[in-house]
Amino acid sequence: MFEKIKLEDLSKENILAYGEFYKGELNSSSLEILSPLKEIAQTLNKKLILVSLIGSLENIKDWEEIKKSLADEVWFVINEELKDFREDLYTEVLVKIVKFSQPYGFFFPATKIGMSLAPRVAGALQVGLCAHVNNLEVKDNQIIMARPTYGENIIAKLISKSIPIMATISLGAFGIKYGEKEPSIKEIIFPEDFVWKSKLKIRRFAPSKKKPTKLSTAKVIVAGGRGLKNKETFQKLFELANLLGAEVGATRPVCYEGWVEEERMIGISGVTVRPKVYIGFGISGALQHTVGMENSEFIIAVNTDKEAPLVKIANLALIGDAGKILELLLKNLSK
Amino acid sequence: MEKIIVCIKGVPKPGSIKVDPETHTLKRENMELILNPNDRPALEMALRLKNTYNTEVVVISMGPPNVIPLLKYIYALGADQIILLSDRAFAGSDTLATSYVLAKAIEKLSPFSLVLMGLKSIDGETAQVPPETASLLGIPSLTNVKDLFMERGKWIAIREMDYGEEEIEVTPPIVASVSPLAFDYIRPPSLKRLLEVKTKEPLICQVKDLNLDPQRLGLQGSPTQVIEVFEKKIETKGLVLEGSPEELVEKLIEILKDKGLIKF
Ligand SMILES: Cc1cc2nc3c(=O)[nH]c(=O)nc-3n(C[C@H](O)[C@H](O)[C@H](O)COP(=O)(O)OP(=O)(O)OC[C@H]3O[C@@H](n4cnc5c(N)ncnc54)[C@H](O)[C@@H]3O)c2cc1C
Ligand SMILES: Cc1cc2nc3c(=O)[nH]c(=O)nc-3n(C[C@H](O)[C@H](O)[C@H](O)COP(=O)(O)OP(=O)(O)OC[C@H]3O[C@@H](n4cnc5c(N)ncnc54)[C@H](O)[C@@H]3O)c2cc1C
Repeated sequence: MFEKIKLEDLSKENILAYGEFYKGELNSSSLEILSPLKEIAQTLNKKLILVSLIGSLENIKDWEEIKKSLADEVWFVINEELKDFREDLYTEVLVKIVKFSQPYGFFFPATKIGMSLAPRVAGALQVGLCAHVNNLEVKDNQIIMARPTYGENIIAKLISKSIPIMATISLGAFGIKYGEKEPSIKEIIFPEDFVWKSKLKIRRFAPSKKKPTKLSTAKVIVAGGRGLKNKETFQKLFELANLLGAEVGATRPVCYEGWVEEERMIGISGVTVRPKVYIGFGISGALQHTVGMENSEFIIAVNTDKEAPLVKIANLALIGDAGKILELLLKNLSK
Repeated sequence: MEKIIVCIKGVPKPGSIKVDPETHTLKRENMELILNPNDRPALEMALRLKNTYNTEVVVISMGPPNVIPLLKYIYALGADQIILLSDRAFAGSDTLATSYVLAKAIEKLSPFSLVLMGLKSIDGETAQVPPETASLLGIPSLTNVKDLFMERGKWIAIREMDYGEEEIEVTPPIVASVSPLAFDYIRPPSLKRLLEVKTKEPLICQVKDLNLDPQRLGLQGSPTQVIEVFEKKIETKGLVLEGSPEELVEKLIEILKDKGLIKF
């Protein structure tokens, strides 16, 4: 169907982006990372190539997205054994592609798959890998990558001295943009003697019942803790979230109380979030919670206790009853 | 069953990291180390497997000598052997250099059936060390593992993916990073062991003990380099407002409008 190309004929020194397919669907995070990479590629005068490993062409559901994408080319490796993600085999395939095409850069979305795969590839190639990058720039022909690091609002800027330059890119850090020209699509043909074998056997797969919460990439979060007193009051956060285009977050005790599902837990045992605005209702701000949200751009705390740690780190603190304030806010907003 | 190895990291106590505004580097002196909280579930999993399969648990950490008290605490939790990989040459390691040292130490401890690690550290926060170490060892890796058991000589792992839960069968040895949500209960140290550990010291390994290539260590062996760190400015100095709920809500709405969250 497409141009077939042998490993040894692959063009060199490009920027590669990992196109994550799962059961025929392209993860939108792979389209997100093309946005900053396109700029980098243009600045450095290189081609941007989306590389995807799939079981068969028939299942692909996202042709439109692929055709509109910013990539200059899309390279597919197609083999029945690639139907499921298995890190050892996927690593071997990608390492082969790198060895032959000697890319300048290779970038992955920081999905669970990306974060399992990229370190294996980097290890096999013995090159550096930057994690959770949320900003990329070119300075003096060098790619400089920025990433937030734990707490304290500390941002680190990194370079990688080895080629290919590799990084995983934070989810939600960049919006999806579309290109003007349809990428050319190629299928990479592997040598006859390549062994399509993995040590992993997937015995069972249970798709998540709930839609995954968009907590980690949400731009606005309204979160609640024990200070909301009961499940009914807590549930009102969903109304507020609806009005503000926000996601609902929670502390650990209220998840354990069953006020809300555990997927919404923010903190060390839950999700790390970095919204533009975070509003915490009746949350004390224990360290285990704040490490998961303190990089939020603007923090609002609603608490009866002036001395609560969250009040201390908040940009704006309202001292008062969280339930009452929530109720009144909803009343005023739906007027 | 062959032994289980757990890798743990000492991380700065939250709140103790400061950026030097002149040099744009982290001030590490006077930093108090704690056990990376995400390593607790990995230790718990190892100790439960030890009970079930009657195997040995060896805990290793690469870090400065002030990791020793953390290792002693872990001994009190029930580990059989504690090892510190400590050498000035390790300073400044990125995940590649760290994984190299860990892989070499793990190799030396062969045979083993399993290496367990935390999902990620709370300082570097890369989550890269477990798969990268496995890659260097040439063995399979699984991340975000919630449950692990043996069936007919194979590991069966339950792991959490973005799309759902997978049950995977794989022949030992493997490296697995453990989901922070794997356990509801995590054991405290035993009293008997706490007394015992007073006289227990970890085995300390240096470069010369591990047959390491000096080119691949520390800053020199680390392709990624932090060129600058800076603190993100906080937008306003925390404004604390008291008043009637009406007044407070009015202020809140004002801010939400200002942030573009409400349009009217
Ligand atoms: C190993 C471990 C891991 C953990 N992981 C997490 C984690 O990932 N995420 C997490 O969130 N927690 C975690 N915790 C728990 C954490 O330590 C705190 O206990 C938890 O965050 C506190 O939740 P909270 O703020 O809802 O409750 P509390 O600490 O009880 O705080 C309630 C707050 O509400 C205020 N309040 C009371 N009444 C009112 C009112 N009427 N109006 C307004 N305010 C009011 C109080 O002043 C107080 O500040 C963990 C703990 C451990 C030991
Ligand atoms: C600001 C900053 C940014 C950084 N960014 C990067 C980056 O983008 N890329 C990069 O390669 N390095 C980076 N590093 C270096 C990195 O933090 C160190 O290499 C560190 O030694 C290991 O990485 P980690 O803390 O992210 O571990 P993770 O991979 O997050 O740790 C996962 C698990 O691996 C095990 N583990 C990790 N370290 C050790 C250890 N020393 N001993 C025993 N077990 C261990 C533990 O079980 C841990 O729970 C950065 C460091 C700083 C200070």
